[in-house]
Amino acid sequence: MTTLGILALTAIAVSFVCLHFGAQPIAYGEILRVFVDAVSRKEINSGTSDVATTILLHVRLPRMLLGFLVGCSLATVGVALQALLRNPLADPYVLGVSSGAALGAAVGVLLGAGTTFLAETALPAYGFAGGLLALVVVYRMAASYEQLPIHSLLLTGVILNAIFSALIMFITSILEPNRSYGMMAWLMGTLTAPTYGGLAGLAVYLSIGLFLLFSQMRVLNILALGEDSARTLGIDTEKAKRFIFVLTALVTGAVVSVSGMIGFIGMVVPHAVRLVTGADHRLLLPASALVGGTFLMGADTIARTLISPAEIPVGIITALAGGPFFVYLLLWRKDRLA
Amino acid sequence: MKRRQQGILTGMPFMTHVSSRAFVDDAGRRIYLAKPPARVVSLAPSITEMLFAIGLDEQIVGVTEFCDFPAAAKSKAKVGYSNPSAEALIALRPELVLAPRDFLRPDLQTKLEQLKIPLFFLEAQTVEDILLQIHTLGKMFEKVPAANEVTQSMRQRIAEIRRKVETPPARRVLYVLNSQPLITVGPGSFIHQMIGLAGGVNIAAQAGMAYPKLSMEAVLKDDPEVLIFPSGEVETVPRSEQQQWRRWDSLSAVKQQRFHEVSSNLLNRPGPRVVEALEQLARAIHPEVFGSGESTGHP
Repeated sequence: MTTLGILALTAIAVSFVCLHFGAQPIAYGEILRVFVDAVSRKEINSGTSDVATTILLHVRLPRMLLGFLVGCSLATVGVALQALLRNPLADPYVLGVSSGAALGAAVGVLLGAGTTFLAETALPAYGFAGGLLALVVVYRMAASYEQLPIHSLLLTGVILNAIFSALIMFITSILEPNRSYGMMAWLMGTLTAPTYGGLAGLAVYLSIGLFLLFSQMRVLNILALGEDSARTLGIDTEKAKRFIFVLTALVTGAVVSVSGMIGFIGMVVPHAVRLVTGADHRLLLPASALVGGTFLMGADTIARTLISPAEIPVGIITALAGGPFFVYLLLWRKDRLA
Repeated sequence: MKRRQQGILTGMPFMTHVSSRAFVDDAGRRIYLAKPPARVVSLAPSITEMLFAIGLDEQIVGVTEFCDFPAAAKSKAKVGYSNPSAEALIALRPELVLAPRDFLRPDLQTKLEQLKIPLFFLEAQTVEDILLQIHTLGKMFEKVPAANEVTQSMRQRIAEIRRKVETPPARRVLYVLNSQPLITVGPGSFIHQMIGLAGGVNIAAQAGMAYPKLSMEAVLKDDPEVLIFPSGEVETVPRSEQQQWRRWDSLSAVKQQRFHEVSSNLLNRPGPRVVEALEQLARAIHPEVFGSGESTGHP
């Protein structure tokens, strides 16, 4: 519990620092004043001419909350997939689930299911369908082995990513130029400031998925031991696996349809956390969620401020931070992958 | 190659007209045309419009699928746009290919060089560039009087618009190329320059790229007074998306209901109709100096 407490406090501290940075840094005293004001007025009222207030309450804060939600979700899904496939490199991005969801969302845009990548549209459903398509292939692969060799799984991901990317590129190429600009920016992994209504909608949707994933902590622990032990303990492994797979697709689909393909969080964060907490999912899952949220919030702050007033897609930042870690694991820490 | 050598070998004194038949394009390449090309292919809508404007309807044998103006352009053979087909292009037996610089494909370039088909790049970064290009094309095709006529009337209309927008103070403008995520135009883009000519100040001037992803925080800080959305047959930023901007009610543009649409086809084509685009922009930014013309705004 102390670990989670420390992580929660860290998240709060980091979020304060993130609130300070942006296109225009806002002093910490000013941040407190704005919040006290907003609370004392008992409503979040945007009808103010005070730019600092508008920026804080309607751009920076909702975007940070979105970043936290997305980071939480990706890390949680990463933990679940790693346990399910008993493979430390599993991650929605690497396995092609993210690009499957992105393809789903792109098809949704093409069909006019939503013109913006916001939670207020039907896009999460399309993302879910695309993510599920990818997971069905991964599941079939995994089902044909007692334990899928790491390289086969990665190859499956590479191939799925290649196929989905080709289709996404095709869709991008038939959209009119202005639209395709937006699509490209979204694909690279982008957070935008949502409305509180949209944020709440997404939060409800994701909370259900995450809550159900968290309810499987014990099952994940048992699955991580191996199929035989699980069966001995009287768990219907196939059913449990299918249920968890569908949940990961549900969460990934929603996240991708809102923020595009943000990679590596689902893989790097659980690893880093495991070094501290060990392999017990009852601690690993919530701790990874907190760290994932904090990490993406921080990465997005860099994305917002580095070349201000312009922005960098946050997916580029996470890939630059996470890619080398992936290579390091693959080359030097084979023991951790065993 | 052969022709160029001839020119060099026979010596310049006899060939004064030859030097005037050599042209340098916007990529710094030099081509030589002994006579006005009878068959020309255009690889951009802006170039097609320039060719038609100086009366070359008969000489144009191929255009892109986006060339929809004037109406006569639609009946010309199509050779693709971002990915022109080399075979379709060569089958048209062009004596000259005019291409925008950003759609340069090395493989196609090599192929054309191999076949001795001159390729000429045009890239307009400013309105002045467009006028120069029309003159160059006029010389190439021996249509100088027609080119002069076109550019003169363009200059006149531009001067008229500039005169009108000189008086009122410049207004801060945000051009919304894409709403979610927010992408706009910055220095180095053609539209950025147009905003300046139309009496506006682009709030993304500091972004340092042609098509920056702009942070919403910067927009709130710089407080645009006018929002401009591209519009066209295919609604680029749909009305429903435009309405979402209403939630930023600290912005002057929202307080004063200054949402305007400008035809993206006109704005994105550095050709002879650039004057119309400039007028639409100027009307959007300074409606008060244009009297009761048609408004480009909407409630």
